[in-house]
Amino acid sequence: MTFLSPLLLALMGAAAVPLLLHLMRRRIGARVDFPAVRYLRRAEQEHSRQLKLRNLLLMVLRVVIVLLVALAAARPVGPGLGSGHPPTAIAIVLDNSLSTTAIVDGRPVLERLRAAAIALVRSAQAADRLWLVTADATAVSGSASQLVDAIARVEPLAGGGALRDAVQRGAALVRAAGLDGRHLAVVTDGQATAWRTAADAGGVTVTVLAPELDPSRNRAVTRAVANPVHWTPRGRVTAQLAGGDSLAWRVLLGGRTLARGVGGTREEISVSAAPAERGWVAGRVELEPDELRGDDGRGFAAWIGDAPRVTVEREAGLFAAGATEALVMARRATHGDGIAVTPADLLRACPALILAPRDPVRLGAANRALERAGVPWRFGEPRRGTARAHGEGGRLDAVRVERRYPLLAAGVPAPAETLATVAGDPWIVAGNGYVVIGSPLDTLDTDFPLTAVFAPWFATVMTERLSGDAGGVIESTPGAPVRLPPGATGLEREDGTVLPLPAGRATAPTRTGVWFVRRGAARVGALVVNVEPDESDLARLSLESLAARVATGDVRAYADPSPWVRASWAAGSRRPLAVPLLLVALLALAAESVVARRGLARAVA
Amino acid sequence: MDAARPDLLDPASLAALGRIEVVARWVVDGFITGLHRSPRKGFSVEFAEHRGYQPGDDLRYLDWKIAARADRWMIKQFEEETNLRAALVLDISPSMNWAGAAGRLTKLAYAERVCAALALLLLRQRDAVGLIRFDDAVRSVLPPRARLAHWRRIIAAMGTAGTGTATAAPEALARAAALVRRPGLVVLVSDLLVDPAGVVGGVRTLRAMGHDVVVLHVMDPGERDIADPGDALFTDPESGEAEAARGADVRDAYRDTVASAIEEWRDWLPGAGVAYELIMTDAPFGIALRRAFAVRQGLP
Repeated sequence: MTFLSPLLLALMGAAAVPLLLHLMRRRIGARVDFPAVRYLRRAEQEHSRQLKLRNLLLMVLRVVIVLLVALAAARPVGPGLGSGHPPTAIAIVLDNSLSTTAIVDGRPVLERLRAAAIALVRSAQAADRLWLVTADATAVSGSASQLVDAIARVEPLAGGGALRDAVQRGAALVRAAGLDGRHLAVVTDGQATAWRTAADAGGVTVTVLAPELDPSRNRAVTRAVANPVHWTPRGRVTAQLAGGDSLAWRVLLGGRTLARGVGGTREEISVSAAPAERGWVAGRVELEPDELRGDDGRGFAAWIGDAPRVTVEREAGLFAAGATEALVMARRATHGDGIAVTPADLLRACPALILAPRDPVRLGAANRALERAGVPWRFGEPRRGTARAHGEGGRLDAVRVERRYPLLAAGVPAPAETLATVAGDPWIVAGNGYVVIGSPLDTLDTDFPLTAVFAPWFATVMTERLSGDAGGVIESTPGAPVRLPPGATGLEREDGTVLPLPAGRATAPTRTGVWFVRRGAARVGALVVNVEPDESDLARLSLESLAARVATGDVRAYADPSPWVRASWAAGSRRPLAVPLLLVALLALAAESVVARRGLARAVA
Repeated sequence: MDAARPDLLDPASLAALGRIEVVARWVVDGFITGLHRSPRKGFSVEFAEHRGYQPGDDLRYLDWKIAARADRWMIKQFEEETNLRAALVLDISPSMNWAGAAGRLTKLAYAERVCAALALLLLRQRDAVGLIRFDDAVRSVLPPRARLAHWRRIIAAMGTAGTGTATAAPEALARAAALVRRPGLVVLVSDLLVDPAGVVGGVRTLRAMGHDVVVLHVMDPGERDIADPGDALFTDPESGEAEAARGADVRDAYRDTVASAIEEWRDWLPGAGVAYELIMTDAPFGIALRRAFAVRQGLP
């Protein structure tokens, strides 16, 4: 039992008054002349047992009355009998993730969840405070009618949202409400992947409603990527399917079907093509529609351009020439004037993959060539000694370096990127139209050309970094934080409409699809927003497991809306107890009156 | 019942109208007027005087001759000759000097007026009447005399309360026995807040001597139904004994105890051949007088 006005519990001290009066009654009172004292004494002697019992009963009743009134004044709430519910701050976490759009028994799951949430809100009282928190942790507050409208307007998310964040947001809201009654009512489809980690409700009581629904097996595209992102012009689309063994799929690129076929859950779809389109192109891998439409397709983006022309200086070494030849054979590059692969001392112009000179004597010539080409880096004095490289997300960490020229920034640093370091010094740097390696591609200087990562790295440098500033692909989920390229001004949909990017925008659109990143009129990359693959897994948690996913003191899970609504407002079966206490006090008062006026003997009789 | 009869008026209101002898006369006159049966029946009487007829008078005593001659309705009154000796034993202890409510006569005031009226009534019948007043000792004694002038002496002896710390009823009754040597009438007027054994023993002695004994138990209504002044220390003004109680708490038990005590008196005294009458101080004097005089009516 808790009290809404605990300070008034001090009134319970008044219970000492009848107690003290009872104990002191023999020592207080005015002197009254009364000749028939002998009768009074005889009456007390003859009826002492009854009188003592009666006085004791009166004292107990009076103490009880005072205690009950004091308790009622303190506005207790607790389990047991009571009426209504105490003023409660309640946050309704409505799971509107994509999985709730699944059609079960002819109705979307979300429709059922909405109805349950509305039933809960309609049981609210004027003194309650209400919030609606959706799965993307967006909170709305308002009166009961406003919240009913808000619930009716809730649209499903395009992705899984963040139920864990939503629960914690709701708990924080009710905790900050300042009301004694604090409750979090969660209504969800109970999708296991959405409740993978426990949400901390911070001691707020929680009731979870997860209707018992049995969704059919869901078919989904769980992965779709262009590989590589920059097609020159040949590239490949790979995709992963889930939900069956005979899934009819098709791959679309630029609005036309690139390929179609039938696949299964454990098969990877791979489609190669050399489309005629140029520039950034949106694609999509699709399945036949099923009960959950949101994951039946998955977008991807590719930049398609002509194969870069590459010239390799003979002094660049055999490894550079071999790697270039492999690209030509794969039709990802052609021989010709375009990108130069050259030692720095022979550099004439960018774009170029610039290598350190083989002979330290050429160091001065190399730096002068860099200066002429506008590359803001210089080679430092050569250093010998075995060292490990670090960079490119760890892919170059196994590379051993024996001789290197530390790369030094020259003048005002232009936009540049350090791709790898050795002993803390820049070893590979990249900028607009150049990539500089601080060592020659010679096995005496480094084993980089011998490693497995060299050829892919070389291909990426040729086809992506040095083939023009095409930008990259940013994979994201609806509403998730994203890091867009510097200078991005808008997001362009596939239909050509452009959403301007407000300053500081750092979240992906809430709709799935391919968005081209615009810098002015130019497309400088693509933002691909797809459903989280986990969202396609519609497996449900049991009620017990679901309750265990909410970390708080009192959490109960229900499958039926009615008990969930009752339990939510009961907030642990806690109700105002003032009225029952006053009724009991009135009964005690009536009993006291009977005993006091009629006497114990008659009352008992 | 005739509301104009003084003996049936509220005793406190009546007492406020005059001194004790005046009130006693009114009471006796009213009482005699209301008698439906002559108190003289069975006695040797002689004509005394006429008086005007009043409704309720016995028609046997209407003087038909005067009615026939003068068309006036007159009642013949008689005076008797008797040798009855009576002693009024009045308790004047401090417990008697108490009234349970403002505007109500104290038990002593009420008892004095009853005694005065009774004395007057007896004297008018030529009975010899004496008075004994006592508290913790016999305070005054007036031997029985049959002259009307003796009534003034009896009245003069009243009016002061006793200051004793006890009630010496046995001694007073013994004194009465000594005072009335021939078999006569002894009337004890007391609140009986005494040791019952002493009183019962005293009246038995009187009965053994051949006296008729009447005990008028004077009680204030506040003694039968205890008031509720809250938590209080109830103190006996006579003995100084005190008892702390809350009136409301003990009311029922107290009422039962008083009823039980009264029943005990009713058992003991009639069992000893004594007439016992309980008289509440808010009852008209006529009632008390009638109960006390009923004994006298039965005497030879």
